[in-house]
Amino acid sequence: MSEPRPILEVKDLGVSRGSTIELERLSFRLDGGETLVLLGDENSGKDVLLRVLGSYLQRGDELSGTIKLGEGPALPAAKRAKIGLRIVYLAAAAEAPLNPHASVLAQLSRAIARRTGSPRTSAREELRIALERFPDAPTLAALNQRPGALGAKDLSWALLAAAMAQTPDLLIADHAFGDLTPRSIRSIVGALMAEQKRLGFALLYAARGLKAAARLDSRVIVLRQGKVIEEGSFTRLASGQSHAYTRTLFKALPKPLAAPPARNATREPLLQVQGLDLIGAKKNAPRSRDGITFELRRGASLALIGEDGSGRRELVRALLGLDRVAGGRVVLDQVDMSILSAPMTSRMRRRIAFITGADDALDPRMTLWDTVDEPLRAHLRLPRDMVAGHRETALKRVGLASHDGRRAVATLSPFDKRRLQVARAIVSAPFLAVIDEPLRGLDAFAQSILTELLEDFRRQEGPAFLVITADVGVAQVLAEDAMFFKDHKVVERGALRDILRNPRDEETRELIEASAPPVRDRGSVDLPQVSTYNVPQRTAVPE
Amino acid sequence: MTMAVTSPNGTHALHNALRVAGWIGLGLIAVAVSLSDFLANAPANATAIGPFLASPSPEFRFGTDILGRDLLSETLHALDATVRSALPATAVTLLAGALLGFVAARLPRSLARTVRGLVGILASLPALLLAVLVIGLSTRDWAAVAAGLSAAPFTFVRAFDRARLEERATHSEYARATGISGTTLLRRDLVYEFRDTILSSAARALAAVTLILSTLSFLGFGAVPPHRDLGLMIAAARPYFLHAWWMAAFPAAALVLLILCARLAAGLDEGERA
Repeated sequence: MSEPRPILEVKDLGVSRGSTIELERLSFRLDGGETLVLLGDENSGKDVLLRVLGSYLQRGDELSGTIKLGEGPALPAAKRAKIGLRIVYLAAAAEAPLNPHASVLAQLSRAIARRTGSPRTSAREELRIALERFPDAPTLAALNQRPGALGAKDLSWALLAAAMAQTPDLLIADHAFGDLTPRSIRSIVGALMAEQKRLGFALLYAARGLKAAARLDSRVIVLRQGKVIEEGSFTRLASGQSHAYTRTLFKALPKPLAAPPARNATREPLLQVQGLDLIGAKKNAPRSRDGITFELRRGASLALIGEDGSGRRELVRALLGLDRVAGGRVVLDQVDMSILSAPMTSRMRRRIAFITGADDALDPRMTLWDTVDEPLRAHLRLPRDMVAGHRETALKRVGLASHDGRRAVATLSPFDKRRLQVARAIVSAPFLAVIDEPLRGLDAFAQSILTELLEDFRRQEGPAFLVITADVGVAQVLAEDAMFFKDHKVVERGALRDILRNPRDEETRELIEASAPPVRDRGSVDLPQVSTYNVPQRTAVPE
Repeated sequence: MTMAVTSPNGTHALHNALRVAGWIGLGLIAVAVSLSDFLANAPANATAIGPFLASPSPEFRFGTDILGRDLLSETLHALDATVRSALPATAVTLLAGALLGFVAARLPRSLARTVRGLVGILASLPALLLAVLVIGLSTRDWAAVAAGLSAAPFTFVRAFDRARLEERATHSEYARATGISGTTLLRRDLVYEFRDTILSSAARALAAVTLILSTLSFLGFGAVPPHRDLGLMIAAARPYFLHAWWMAAFPAAALVLLILCARLAAGLDEGERA
């Protein structure tokens, strides 16, 4: 066997700014064809490492330790010798440094051309060839539009293809696929690993969440506040034989088939839907021929599972009277929504709460206190001291009581915004909470905390949950029943536990497989003890 | 690294610096206006203070006019008069423009569109023409109100469009989905948007109405002698532009300084369109 090609060796790297230590004595070595995942939250220090590797030092950064690139000498971290090593940066679709007003194709071609020193037409051709290697990627022509017009999945494929077209020696991926749906992550990480095998580059993946890291299934360094907590293979860390902090992070992984969460559902129906015919937001959206019929009891939880555009959000919008429906009947809290006037429909929605993964779901101009107070003031017209009491209680429960209440929402982190949504939902005392991809974009630690908050919210306030997600793992934690969607149709429904054991539809099976972390078949060492679904083989499943 | 990130921080810092400079300038003008009686060497319209048409000198720094009035004192008094009429005009613009714009955006969609269209037509007309029309329908005493109203359509359209954007924003949609009423959303706009933009809106309106008021006075529709504002001073200097340049130059410089500071205080982008 040939010796592995050294790509990157970091030794005792330390970064500090004044008295703040941002990174402390980090050492690792990465050879060609190897993958290293850096796992941690926003302030863990992985962003600092990427900054150092990218030579984006900030004023006041004090560096110690050495960095060795390729066959070059080990140099002090602040210095960088010119070497023939091609380092390529791969960002997440939402954070890609692309001009929102220019075509993706033009921008990526220009970046490849500049990086490889080739003419623009050659770069474009390289991009086309790279895209063609990925069966699920969009075509070159489809990239000839602005970044906003492409979905996150297509943009991720385009960025990956652009990175591969540069034939990197070292690929630095910054939470590149973490916000995609499990199925997209499976497909795109699979493609990345195949490319790594073909080109032999080293991959340094900075991960906030675990979904992509689980697919990479490689060596992991867990960082917290600039310090290395521990290092090991993903499967060992996932096994539970690890540091307490690591165990907290890995709580966000989907769990094996376990008993469903405690139910406090009653027999009384809260939401009854009969033959609802969805009309998509777009004019030519496919229509549901048979209509959707289901019932949600008070305190129950139903997951609407499917890929983006499968009709889940259209269903919720139709249920809440936000969009017209061609046919069908919605009875909410024993009131037929179709006979209500617009103001009365709005009044009915007062007992509905939303907790979403969209960071712009809250008004960025409002203060933290006003955001929580608004439902109490607008709906209940409570006196000021009572409003303050409810607000304090809710903020304490979500862990935001110590924050300055006059801070604008715009200045909060995504995790704080998510917790603020929960606090707002708590004071609303809703009978129905719509939980829409609540963990999207959060790091693993924040995902565990938020999941606990949602479970606590459901346990204490007892609202019914409608959980919109593409991740069966999320649905498993927050719901007992599920409906699987494809093309605006329900392809399978029932108790989630039963569906996980015995999925009947191909789409359902695909979604379940994509959400479950892969089972390693490389011998008996380090096999995960948790985090696998009991997914049956892809054979015909009896009714 | 494949792609460089272009940071707008430098541009923002420059804009902020210019904005601060604008507010400092407005502050200094406010001090000069409030102390105009103290700073001026002579009362307003005091004639024969010095020789007729004396050029700027250490004794008369801005020179004198045809009636021997000290132009430094006259410019200070005229600046005072201009600012005093511009302030109520600014208030009219904010009330009739920004406030109504925010409210109109929350009207039922068809009505809101109609109102936006009608005000848009008014905004496309020269503001000066509208001001003359209002004065024609009332009297010269209403020049400040006329200037305020004539600048209001542009402010209305801006406020309306901002409010419509906010209404279509994701957070507004989520708020409506949880039963938050249009009135509460309007309150959000008034409390937050209006509060956050009131200073820049006021500065932008101040620049616009000052220009309109001075032009009205220059054309003879505004201030009436013996109360002279900057526009009237420049108008009075018309016959002497060629051989007594200082008669027009110093009032014009004061006017330019006032408008420039107001535009900078409003923010460079906004100021350019004001």
